[in-house]
Amino acid sequence: MKKVQIDRRHFIKISSLSSGGLVLGFTLPGLQALAIPLGDCEFFQPSAYLKIDTKGKVTVYVAKQESGQGIDTALPMIVAEELDADFRDVKAEIAPFGTMKPGEHDTGGSQSVLDMYNKLRNAGAVAKAMLISAAATLWKVKESSCAADNGEVVNTVTMQRIKYGELVCAAAKLPVPKEVILKSPKDFKLIGKSEKRSSLKDILTGKTKYGLDLKVEGMVYAVAARCPVLGGTLVSVDDAAAKKVPGVLKVVSYKGTGAPMHVRAGVAVIATSTWAAIKARELLNITWDEGKRNKESTDELFKTFASKSTAKPQIEVYSKGDAGSYDGKNEIKAVYAQPFLAHATMEPVNFIAAVKEDGCELWGGLQLPDWAVDRVSKDCGIKKEKIKVNLALMGGAFGRRLHFDFAIEAVKIAQQFDKPVKLIWDRVDDTQFSPYRPANYHLLKASTDDKGTIAAWQHHVLGTPIAFMTDSPETKNIGEMDGADHGFCYAVPNIKTGYTPVDFNINRGWLRSVDICVNTFPVESFIDEVAMKLKKDPLQFRLSMLENRPDFKTGEGPGALTQSPARIAGVLKLAAEKIGWSAPRKSNHYIGLATHSFIFAKAYAAHAIEIELLAPKKFRIVKVVAAIDCGVVINPDGLLNQMEGGLAFALTQTLKGEITIQNSRVMQDGFFSYELLRYDEMPPVEIHVVDSKEDPGGVGEVGLSTVAPALCNALAAAGQRPRNLPIRNEGFSWV
Amino acid sequence: MSMSILKKDSPVPENSCIMYQREKRFAIIIFVISCYQLFFLPFQTTCMPKFNLNVNNKQYTVEAEADMPLLWVLRDLLDLTGTKYGCGVASCGVCTVLMDGNAIYSCQRSVGSCVNKKIITIEGLSEDGSHPVQKAWQKAGVPQCGYCQPGQMMAVAAMLEKNKKPSDDTINSAMSNVLCRCGTYHRIKKAIQLAIEEINK
Ligand code: FES
Ligand code: FES
Repeated sequence: MKKVQIDRRHFIKISSLSSGGLVLGFTLPGLQALAIPLGDCEFFQPSAYLKIDTKGKVTVYVAKQESGQGIDTALPMIVAEELDADFRDVKAEIAPFGTMKPGEHDTGGSQSVLDMYNKLRNAGAVAKAMLISAAATLWKVKESSCAADNGEVVNTVTMQRIKYGELVCAAAKLPVPKEVILKSPKDFKLIGKSEKRSSLKDILTGKTKYGLDLKVEGMVYAVAARCPVLGGTLVSVDDAAAKKVPGVLKVVSYKGTGAPMHVRAGVAVIATSTWAAIKARELLNITWDEGKRNKESTDELFKTFASKSTAKPQIEVYSKGDAGSYDGKNEIKAVYAQPFLAHATMEPVNFIAAVKEDGCELWGGLQLPDWAVDRVSKDCGIKKEKIKVNLALMGGAFGRRLHFDFAIEAVKIAQQFDKPVKLIWDRVDDTQFSPYRPANYHLLKASTDDKGTIAAWQHHVLGTPIAFMTDSPETKNIGEMDGADHGFCYAVPNIKTGYTPVDFNINRGWLRSVDICVNTFPVESFIDEVAMKLKKDPLQFRLSMLENRPDFKTGEGPGALTQSPARIAGVLKLAAEKIGWSAPRKSNHYIGLATHSFIFAKAYAAHAIEIELLAPKKFRIVKVVAAIDCGVVINPDGLLNQMEGGLAFALTQTLKGEITIQNSRVMQDGFFSYELLRYDEMPPVEIHVVDSKEDPGGVGEVGLSTVAPALCNALAAAGQRPRNLPIRNEGFSWV
Repeated sequence: MSMSILKKDSPVPENSCIMYQREKRFAIIIFVISCYQLFFLPFQTTCMPKFNLNVNNKQYTVEAEADMPLLWVLRDLLDLTGTKYGCGVASCGVCTVLMDGNAIYSCQRSVGSCVNKKIITIEGLSEDGSHPVQKAWQKAGVPQCGYCQPGQMMAVAAMLEKNKKPSDDTINSAMSNVLCRCGTYHRIKKAIQLAIEEINK
């Protein structure tokens, strides 16, 4: 049990003199007053996050959006736990955009549960305290002889029971308690038990409406042809043939934008159906001015990386001791590289915009709606207050919808038409015009001493920073440096980490597991490589540098994050144990390990992967074991689903995912050339969860980063170490 | 001209001629054409061919160009949006529906080729989620974002209709063409086994 002081300023009362009833509404930090429908005491709303009606139905207003992470179930579970409600009476609803403080709707970085855990617990506890207090008054007994149980208050002396719904009107008249008591995690009844997603039935019967499924009154359809080179401009368009396609209503063009979203110059066909628009787009005859940067290629980029990698890093990220003085001494050296990647959400991005003289209304999936509104306002010249956003369910996001280039496009098109326009990106658009996970390159050097330990570790990361696009190549604040800045978790006396940014003409953005994933592949591969060279057991070698190392901060100031080597070691040990690391193996079977922390979301995971080698470069994945430590687990079933899915997502990019560029154009054009993992390629997986009472972490991204290095370490154990992803490029194949 | 379904409360424009009236300068031309149609083409009342479709055991008449893929007919004209768009080029399988009991990619069949066929979409598999495949999916808690799941379930339903006890090879070949970016394959695998158990009870 934990006492929590409630700052009553955070629970604002909204009262009404409406006939016979008083309705209370509360807001938590970060909330503007929420409009509450007032009536004859229809419901009791102890916080904007929470509404209890007279039937006892609880609605949790969630400002986080669902795109498959399962927060539609995990977040109401947290409220229901502290409220002691019957979970079947609790449902989540996305709070309408605009009713919350800017930023509340931001959804990403595995932050939803982290961000909401304590807020929702407090809200549930406050409501429960008020309901108990109302019951005590009614029965004329002390609050201490009342208890909450499964949606009812119980008189612990007489065992009389009364439903929450019957108490809400009385409770609404009470003051907000100064203090509430939160449960101790060991008393949780709901948190930690698997609950099925509440949205399942609609999904399974095809009723769920994603952004692409929405229709608004009078809506028409549009697809766009975009300049093949980022930064190019439109010279001319001959749309005579396109306009002849039955159903075509209008052909419009629009200019591109620069940072942060880099909308490409485009020509859009507006039509009465998606098909008519798609067909007509083929018939457009467009002349583009591609600009000066139309000759860039990934081949050249990787050559640039290679030549710059041996020079001094442009930015010194971290330095401890004097790693530089070990240069060339007893040195092991290796280069690792990873390509650009696309999100390839199954539902391609799309957006509906209706522009009227005095503003616009928008419909679609956005992970950062506040930023989107701000930029739509600036790029399209519409007053911010005049932009109304209706958030839609997303058929996958993975960071793609943190960008909102498509929303700006839709508004630019709709500004030229007097009906709502739905802009659809087809799969080719999605593959070729997205913001890509940056390509990166790593030069790693380790000097060993005669005790067989690492004396110095040097890591030069070269990348194509996202900030060059969202800000500019002159930016002073590069932000993410492909994970170089998140603290090397192994205890080594001399460390030097540097970063060199390289400009490149393709848009970049954040992809699920972000820079942590970028950094984990080279680091976890190279540490393994060093262990092998030193003829040490890769598990023990890692543990010797992790287990006794206390938690440390990755930097200074409030933004600094905490690394916990002990928890990183904990998941590694668990994964190794469960796969049978020390047990005898069949001939031709090899195991690889890797561990890490998804530091932003206080979650730790390791993978152990067993392969069977079928030929020198051909293998079969026998089994994957994952171990995760993410503190208190809200919904175990949701956690498992995220870990299983994370494995598939990571295997795609380990085995075959790659975006290549020639003449500043993306060479892939859909799933035939940007292949995803398929059903028959999914290996058997088992997931083990560390029992922990720490506050919960986020689990959407932690399950990805260690997959590639664990698999590559297994392949290395079998004889050949891949150092470039996807490993298909190195001639590996699998069954 | 416009593709529209002949249904009263259709949100899709009823007639392309109305659309064209927006462009005032075409009004006269349209008027002339309309007169022409009225007097000289009494049997051709609209500009698009019509097709009779049987979807989920209901009869529909749609007006569309003959080459419009069934996918867009279902989604844009009939508002049956449970069938998803993923690629349009037979590379993802999320648009899978049943045609006369066979799994087909609805993005690859023109509306013209669907006449006199029995089409079942996810909305028609069962409205209440009681089909054995839906029940298995519920039990295994398969979906993440859920977007690909209609396609996955239709592929399984078609497979089980032909073969109540499919081998692993049969399952692999039926399922390896339906992609899931969220990576729910592990659960799909489990759910298929549950569905097989259920129908063989
Ligand atoms: S949309 Fe038909 S196969 Fe992808
Ligand atoms: S559940 Fe999201 S694509 Fe399959």
